[in-house]
Amino acid sequence: MKRVTSVPAVFAVILVAVVSVAGQSQPQSGAPPTRTVRGGVESQERNFLNRIRRLTVDGKRAGEGYWSPDGKRLVFQSERDAANPFYQIYVLDLSTGDTRRISPGMGKTTCAFFRPNSTEIEFASTHLDPNSLKYQKDELDFRASGKERRYAWDYDASMDIFTYDEKTGAIKQLTTAKGYDAEGGYSPDGQWIAFSSMRDAYNRTLSAAERKQLELDPSYFAEVYIMKADGSGQKRLTTENGYDGGTFFTRDGRIVWRHFEENGLIANVWTMKPDGTDKKQITDFGSMSWAPYEHPSGEYFLFASNKLGFENFEVFMVDKAGLKEPVRITYSEGFDGLPVPSPDGTQLAWTSSRAGGTGAAGQIYLAQWNHEAAMAALKAAGPRVKHTK
Amino acid sequence: MRKTFALALAVALVAVPSFAQSRTKTHVTTLASDKFEGRLTGSPGEKLAADYLISELKRIGAKPLPGMTDFRMPFTFTAGSKDGGSKLTVQHGTTVTNFDGPGNILATSFSDNGSTSGTIVFAGYGIVVPDSQGFGYDSYQGLDVKDKIVVVLRYFPEDADQKTRAILARYADLRYKAQAARQRGARGLIVVTGPRSPNAGEVVPMSFDTAIAGSGIVAASIAGRAAAPIFAAAKKELEAVQKELDSGNPHVAGFAIPEASVTITTNVIREQQTGHNVVAYLPATGRVVGVGKPWIGVGAHYDHLGKGGAGNSLADKADLNKIHHGADDNASGTATVLAIGEAFSKLQRRRNLLLAFWSGEELGLLGSNAFVTRPPVPLDEFAAYLNFDMVGRVNDNKLTVQATGTSAMWPKLLEQANVAAGFDLTLQEDPYQPTDVGSFNTASVPCLTFFTGAHQEYHKPSDTADKINYEDLDRVVEFATAIVKRLSDSVEAPQFTKVEQKTDTGGRAGLRLFTGTIPDYASDVKGLLLGGVIGGGPAEQAGLAKGDVIIEIAGQSITNIYDYTYALELLKIGQPARVVYMRGKERRETMLTPAARK
Repeated sequence: MKRVTSVPAVFAVILVAVVSVAGQSQPQSGAPPTRTVRGGVESQERNFLNRIRRLTVDGKRAGEGYWSPDGKRLVFQSERDAANPFYQIYVLDLSTGDTRRISPGMGKTTCAFFRPNSTEIEFASTHLDPNSLKYQKDELDFRASGKERRYAWDYDASMDIFTYDEKTGAIKQLTTAKGYDAEGGYSPDGQWIAFSSMRDAYNRTLSAAERKQLELDPSYFAEVYIMKADGSGQKRLTTENGYDGGTFFTRDGRIVWRHFEENGLIANVWTMKPDGTDKKQITDFGSMSWAPYEHPSGEYFLFASNKLGFENFEVFMVDKAGLKEPVRITYSEGFDGLPVPSPDGTQLAWTSSRAGGTGAAGQIYLAQWNHEAAMAALKAAGPRVKHTK
Repeated sequence: MRKTFALALAVALVAVPSFAQSRTKTHVTTLASDKFEGRLTGSPGEKLAADYLISELKRIGAKPLPGMTDFRMPFTFTAGSKDGGSKLTVQHGTTVTNFDGPGNILATSFSDNGSTSGTIVFAGYGIVVPDSQGFGYDSYQGLDVKDKIVVVLRYFPEDADQKTRAILARYADLRYKAQAARQRGARGLIVVTGPRSPNAGEVVPMSFDTAIAGSGIVAASIAGRAAAPIFAAAKKELEAVQKELDSGNPHVAGFAIPEASVTITTNVIREQQTGHNVVAYLPATGRVVGVGKPWIGVGAHYDHLGKGGAGNSLADKADLNKIHHGADDNASGTATVLAIGEAFSKLQRRRNLLLAFWSGEELGLLGSNAFVTRPPVPLDEFAAYLNFDMVGRVNDNKLTVQATGTSAMWPKLLEQANVAAGFDLTLQEDPYQPTDVGSFNTASVPCLTFFTGAHQEYHKPSDTADKINYEDLDRVVEFATAIVKRLSDSVEAPQFTKVEQKTDTGGRAGLRLFTGTIPDYASDVKGLLLGGVIGGGPAEQAGLAKGDVIIEIAGQSITNIYDYTYALELLKIGQPARVVYMRGKERRETMLTPAARK
């Protein structure tokens, strides 16, 4: 799962552990009376978000909801198949409420995206791994034993990028490299895909230290790549140590992504040209700031950060040029992240653990987005504070 | 055909807000008005409410159930019980002492009526922990009580360690003690509140009990002064006897008192009344063929608390006997069912739709129980049952759906329907809820119940129609209508899943303690979220308030309502307990001193 799980595995574990014991240290939000009492806090969330509602209900967890270009559908990943404990990709029709699976049903999948001007949907999947069914069974047996694995994304090295054609039902493989290929996003014209790959860990001889690093956390080797929509012309765009990924194109034809520092704890939002030049750091927030997505106005990025507590991710926004300090959007304990505005900019989809209970593992939420208030708040924000040495 | 169908639905869904807005408001305002006097089961107010429901059902073209000529479905229940003059005679040698009057002897509400005599066996606290618990505590160990009168202490050992108290408390309910005595052949049971216990020496007030008949044994509580000659016959001091038992040591035994014989006469007057469910249906619009299970039910209880009285009012003393309007509880659910019926009266229906209005819910799910016990339609013909209880207070777009564990298809169906409805849903799998959905879960019917949360006016006269959020109540109607429509159209019926009851909710003995907390049952918060505190109660005095989340009490961590109930059993009346709670993000501590519940 891209932008939740593209957090280093070690962190993902902490995140879930903290959420699951939240009762010991803090109340899980989501219950009406509690939230009412925290009146001040709640009204702040209402500065930008109105009529918050839970969108996904079925299944253990869901996340990474991305809009179709016409704003009428959402593609997302969800664990809702009794026979497969891992994420599969689903398309939700917002006019009928009907949901259908578009991924093969086998193995793990993540990070889907509608291809503009096309009937194709891109996603990453391990279904060609001959061990897929065995892994599913192992996980189901494990869960049946009553144990609960602490949630962690494993950066499966057999993960490759595919497309599904809604018209023909055909599934096409775009990447084949060993190492995790995922986190793809199309250019606005639908001709390019920017994505993240860990192939650098497998296509050369690693030093002893690097081999140890690969065992510990393969995401260290992740770099941003670009390819044509048919999978041809794959080209590496980043070279810095540390996890690079979570790529999306912006309206003006640049790529926005998130770069982790080598230690895997600090991440920031960056942009660059699609040829890898003109790299610009947009945030310097001294925290894990990731999952950036541009608002369709082109005026600002929405992203998630644990600025307010290691386990407490909230959605923030920052002006396009990154001149100002980010502005906080959500005010709920637990996880709020992966913000994706609707194509018309009036709604926000994001992933949140705010429901507690059956929704504790994260589900997709929708709210009306107040763009005017967002612009005003960005204008009023103070200048960017420097964190990097 | 199918197309017209979908079109009709679309039109109806769009149309619901405009016409139903006034409709639910009319229903709630009418039912919660003074004229209906709080709709107490069996009262004239209940009858008026039933009349209103029937006129509305006729208006939308609903019909009495197959085989019935009337919309009313009567059931009898015990509206209350009082002691009609119970007596005790104690004979020791040539000394005979008589006791009567409610200060000396009071029958238990579940006692058989009759007179019985015998010699005495004192069986300690009268507690038997089932072998299955692997604990080993049996007050009857080594005692022969056949044809004897058993005397036991109320409550459970006062000085036992926390773990022992927690276990024994679960089997300390008087009904349970009576059952244990009866099963061992005792002729009667006498309960004494020991001098070392709360309410020392006092008789046990007759609890509200809706059981129609007695429990198969003569059972009464007596005052300390009436117990004195019995223990004097055995040359024992009750206080010393109790002190030994209070350690909780299972080897401290009771003893026979052959020197004393007693005659005990109980007279419980149970007032029988009749309550009325109102049930109707909208027949399928075509022949019901090829669909599994041809019925769907929607229901809500329409009774409320009348003018308080029955003991579950939370009103302040000054308001106790005022009309409890019950606008949210549950004129809101009643209006929802009427509005769903109205919407469906204009839609194609592939299944029969039961419209049920239960009475007796506030007295213990009596109406819905009567329905599932003697169902006019076989219950296995029900594809599903949807219940609405307190749905008029949508706050911040939040709606709780409970009992979702009763079928694997609920989450998917709720997700589909909610895409259009747009609620911030919370799902709770547990079907063991204090509302009529419990009756249908017990009957293995896939079911759901909808709830918008507890509030300050819960079970108070101030639960009035002006506080209802009608705009969102109409959205609940729309949401529910969409769910029923999908259920109705689907050929397959949902599969029932049995949800195991999470934990024993604990013995009723925990209820002797009064903390003045009102748990929010709709919450999935880790800890115990307070929906409110009772004015002047220990919780309020401790500074606790609505919205606080209790996470620890007396060293016991609290993650849910069951933990809380369990922890309450460990508290002692009058002994301050440390409470750790969250107020917003702030962790706070306070001391709470439980009071005795009479």
